[in-house]
Amino acid sequence: MLIKCPHCGTRPVEEFTFNGDASIQRPTSNDPATMDQWFDYVYLRDNPKGRFDEYAHHSSGCRAWLVVTRDTQTHEIFNVVTARDYAKKRVAS
Amino acid sequence: MTGFRLDKGGLIDRKAPLYFTFDGRAFTGFAGDTLASALISNDVHLMGRSFKYHRPRGVISAGSSEPNALVELREGARKEANTRATMIELHDGLVAKSQNHWPSLEFDIGALNSLASAMFVAGFYYKTFMWPKSFWEKIYEPIIRKAAGLGNASKEADPDKYEKAYAHCDLLVVGSGPAGLIAALMAARSGARIILADESSTLGGSLLNENEEIGGMSGHAWAIGVIGELGSKSNVTLMPRTTIFGWYDDNIFGAVERVNDHVLEPSPYEPRQRYWRIMAKRAVMATGAEERPIVFGGNDVPGVMTAGALRTYANRYAAAAGKSVVVFTNNNSGYRTARDMNAHGVHVEVIIDSRKEPNVDAGGVPVIRGGAIVNVRGGKRVSGVELADHRMIPCDAVAMSGGWSPIVNLMCHRGAKPKWDERIAGFVPPDVGDRFVAAGSAAGRMLLSECLADGARAGTLKGKTPAIPKCRDEAFAVTPLWWVKESTGKAFVDYQNDSTAKDLPLAAQEGYRDIELAKRYTTAGMATDQGKLGNVNAIAILAEATGRTMDQVGTTTFRPYYTPVSFGAIAGPFVGHHFQPVRKTPLHDWADELGAVFVETGLWMRSSWFPQAGEDWLASASREVLATRERVGLCDVSTLGKIDVQGKDAAEFLNRLYCNTFSTLDVGKARYGLMLREDGIVFDDGTTSRLAADHFLMTTTTANAARVMSHMEFCHQAHWPELDVQYVSVTEQWAQMAIAGPKARATLQKIVDKVTLDDTGFPYLAAKEISILGGMTARLFRISFSGEHAYELAVPADYGNLVARSIMQAGEEFGITPYGIEALSIMRIEKGHVAGGELNGTTTAGDLGLGKMMSSKKDYIGRMMAAREGLTDKNRQCVVGIRPFDAADKIRAGSHILKKEDAPSMAADQGYISSVAWSPMLNMWLGLALLSNGRERHGEVVKIFDGVRKIHMFGVICDPMQYDRENKKLHA
Amino acid sequence: MPDNFQRVSPLADIAIQGRFGADHGAPGVTLSVRHPVLIATVIARKGKAKALADALKSWRGATVQWAGAEQYFLLDKPFDEVRKKLEGLASCSDQSHGRVIIRIEGPKVRQVLCKGTPVDLHESGFEIGKSALTQMAHVGVHLTRVGRDAFELSVFRGFSESFWEWLTEKAEEFGYQVI
Repeated sequence: MLIKCPHCGTRPVEEFTFNGDASIQRPTSNDPATMDQWFDYVYLRDNPKGRFDEYAHHSSGCRAWLVVTRDTQTHEIFNVVTARDYAKKRVAS
Repeated sequence: MTGFRLDKGGLIDRKAPLYFTFDGRAFTGFAGDTLASALISNDVHLMGRSFKYHRPRGVISAGSSEPNALVELREGARKEANTRATMIELHDGLVAKSQNHWPSLEFDIGALNSLASAMFVAGFYYKTFMWPKSFWEKIYEPIIRKAAGLGNASKEADPDKYEKAYAHCDLLVVGSGPAGLIAALMAARSGARIILADESSTLGGSLLNENEEIGGMSGHAWAIGVIGELGSKSNVTLMPRTTIFGWYDDNIFGAVERVNDHVLEPSPYEPRQRYWRIMAKRAVMATGAEERPIVFGGNDVPGVMTAGALRTYANRYAAAAGKSVVVFTNNNSGYRTARDMNAHGVHVEVIIDSRKEPNVDAGGVPVIRGGAIVNVRGGKRVSGVELADHRMIPCDAVAMSGGWSPIVNLMCHRGAKPKWDERIAGFVPPDVGDRFVAAGSAAGRMLLSECLADGARAGTLKGKTPAIPKCRDEAFAVTPLWWVKESTGKAFVDYQNDSTAKDLPLAAQEGYRDIELAKRYTTAGMATDQGKLGNVNAIAILAEATGRTMDQVGTTTFRPYYTPVSFGAIAGPFVGHHFQPVRKTPLHDWADELGAVFVETGLWMRSSWFPQAGEDWLASASREVLATRERVGLCDVSTLGKIDVQGKDAAEFLNRLYCNTFSTLDVGKARYGLMLREDGIVFDDGTTSRLAADHFLMTTTTANAARVMSHMEFCHQAHWPELDVQYVSVTEQWAQMAIAGPKARATLQKIVDKVTLDDTGFPYLAAKEISILGGMTARLFRISFSGEHAYELAVPADYGNLVARSIMQAGEEFGITPYGIEALSIMRIEKGHVAGGELNGTTTAGDLGLGKMMSSKKDYIGRMMAAREGLTDKNRQCVVGIRPFDAADKIRAGSHILKKEDAPSMAADQGYISSVAWSPMLNMWLGLALLSNGRERHGEVVKIFDGVRKIHMFGVICDPMQYDRENKKLHA
Repeated sequence: MPDNFQRVSPLADIAIQGRFGADHGAPGVTLSVRHPVLIATVIARKGKAKALADALKSWRGATVQWAGAEQYFLLDKPFDEVRKKLEGLASCSDQSHGRVIIRIEGPKVRQVLCKGTPVDLHESGFEIGKSALTQMAHVGVHLTRVGRDAFELSVFRGFSESFWEWLTEKAEEFGYQVI
């Protein structure tokens, strides 16, 4: 599989390490009442068939964290953005 | 013709004789021969024994699909089993042996299996080795293991080198027959970057084997012209001897280049094989088609081969497989063999055509229409054939053609299934998009002109497809005949695994109707050749037995590798010394000079102890501890991760990463920090210093350095991109050494410039840039892992050895001693400092006695989860000190702790010992343990159970800090 | 602060000058160690990426190599000067001792490097002056094309000996010289 790093260009998958679902967001509150949100954030993951936003670290390249949107069935990659831009967009929306 | 070598023709070099041995007998062949063609030209057809029945076998094919002629190639460390004689390029001094027989190829006891073949039907293993259960280990398994496998691998280490490489191209062309050559040519002329790969030693594909004409010249001459043009272009890479074995996501192809399999020994500077990953923008599969055998009695007797192989041996290698040939065919291509053999002066007895009304030029050879062979006479060599009408025709070779199967494998490696095409009676490749297209006979085009047109189209990356050269086509027609049911002898579907025609209906009858199940039940298609020749026949027989069409039965799953790939190629250069890179510290030479023994920690080589004459590791480490605690010691700590953290928000960033607070740290000071994972478990620890308001130097444990860096990158980029913070690893920039002991200050004072190292000039936890040795920039930290009055000094790495030697010199008058990580580990256990054994991915800050570090004034990674019930339970295992009740006893790490009256059981388990050391200060073994509710149990006598040695002793729980409990020495 | 101590390269005893490997006439590649060298990591402070890029572009005598998002290796300038010049624009860290730069050049340079990196180094897409962060033989490598057939490979100091062994072994079949 090839991933087009926004900084480095097209690189093979073995240069990347993965860290699961990027669509979930770290809760911001430390209020004990939000504990359920925290449990979900730390432990609960979907395993979708089809389109999936996934954290990928270009660990053998520029070391940027990316969000790769791919089809989990066909491995077709639709989009790659930096985790930074992904996070900013999430805050904006 | 003298013997079986034709006098004229072929692509062999008669002026270059080559000498080789097979089963100890000496033979001669020529440059250009394969082992198979050389043996055939010497009238050797018996090349091996089959797997199950040990039947005599000869070659069936002339290429990589060969199931029978598998030999042990070379001797000694370079011996390679199950090598296809049809793919071995003959070279001087070649040594090969046949395999799977005892005591000899000619007389093999195992052939008795054939007499008992009623037993060896499909599913034999499943049916026979079922019961009694107790027989498995002692009887069945040894029998199966002895019977399994064909050749023997060498037991010596492979002396040759292998390597890996990457390639990139606009167009990869797989196969160099007519379609592949013209595709490569068209693309190359457009200036695109082309790779043309072929598994054969010589490019040209079928044009090397056949008598055809292209553009008014022989096909071979045309190929030479095209290859010459391709070879002259800088945008073309020709890769003969290269098998493209797999197609992967995003058009990445795997390939093995056999760089030096065709010589006796590779040059000392070259690899034997090279494993390629080829990233192709587009690719053309021009892999050709495979001729199928027909399933009839005795279709495995040496001398029976595919019609195409028989004429390839004659046309390309000038080797006649017999003096009197019978052709058995269900399609037109068998006639080509008859005509070519006639032209070579080899007598063709008759063409037996299963079709009633074939319309082909037989070149004067008599044709039996609607005929079929029911049995082949002969054991180790064909002596004749019997027909369905009981006629007996004497001959010494049989050429069979059951039709052609496009070689679709690569295109099916990512899950797409091929489709059945009635017109050619073969499976044709699926449509997988325009980045990978099939061309030529691989796409089911059976005429030469179609192949050329198809190839030219596939190779035209832009613009109009140019005209193709003229050629003469031979009409192609086939009427399937899969299995001659009247066969009297054994009729093989899968030669290598000895699956016969009768096995498939039996599998269906027993319920294994699915092709994937039938394959596994009969083992058809499961041998090293993966059923390249037999699979379509198996599908057809199963289809007939179950009343289904070919498409309904379908194929089994195609997977890489197309042909076997050696483990050497897969491992590449990363074996032995090169298994992983070695990382050396800047003080390596200094430590080496002093006789250090190094230990691998991760990739690092760390000085472990510095033995003097006669010392073992414990004696050495104990002496180093005593010297450090009594005088002064010097230790290389360069491997600790060092990360420069800068920016306006650097302090805020650290506040969020560590459970304790760093924004309050003064410039010029260091603080111990503890990082948690988001689930509340301890992640890493280390000392972080503030060098300026917006500049921190973080240290991590050696083991977690890379993980901490990734974690920081993730937290910053994914969670808090708004922070103005920059960080980079500076681990390698600094040589760092710990100087510890009562004389550390006096030693260091001799080399530092200007600064006075007293408690006002350089107090505990001071961290400052200083200068040493009259002008060298350095960083000095007053921190201690040993519990002694200690410093860590960092200097630019290129100066590391120089500075370490200078410190040794400065400390000489105080009796300075180098110490390694064994001594360091002993001292930290004496002081109760936690390390890897306790920071083990299960412990919380509270478990480690560091709960008070967790700030309640800020958010940080792990804060919320650390607060949950299960992680704050008072009965959790927490760190305690432990020592033997009887000071003479030796406690061991990993031992379990029980209440003193309890017998060992899971239920009674109270915890375990995580770290142990012999303390030269206390003269006994002592350790750290994780014990349930441990902090409340200091003074308790417990039982220590060593489950490995099945022994137990008693121990006493105590405070983790067992030496200098008042920290007097630290602050001295 | 400038100092007058002898810098010792970790490859001092390893990169021995001479001609090695196969002898097919002229060496396929020539290797040399750039030492001593001045290297700083500079990373743009927040919102200063453009200003940093401009400042670097106009700095005479500095060699600037891309090293990741908003991040560069700046060569050939003393660290104190780098820090002063880029104050407020970038966070700077001295790496002069932390990295080892190996120069490799010659007609077979791409054939050697393709045994390690998946990066396509064909001149059509990888021009002179371009850098890439990649991995070769399990070692992180910062690679820069410095000429048509010349590259600089920058690795962590601690891996330099292992990397040198690997690299020279991969060059053996073409014949190489060390200068």
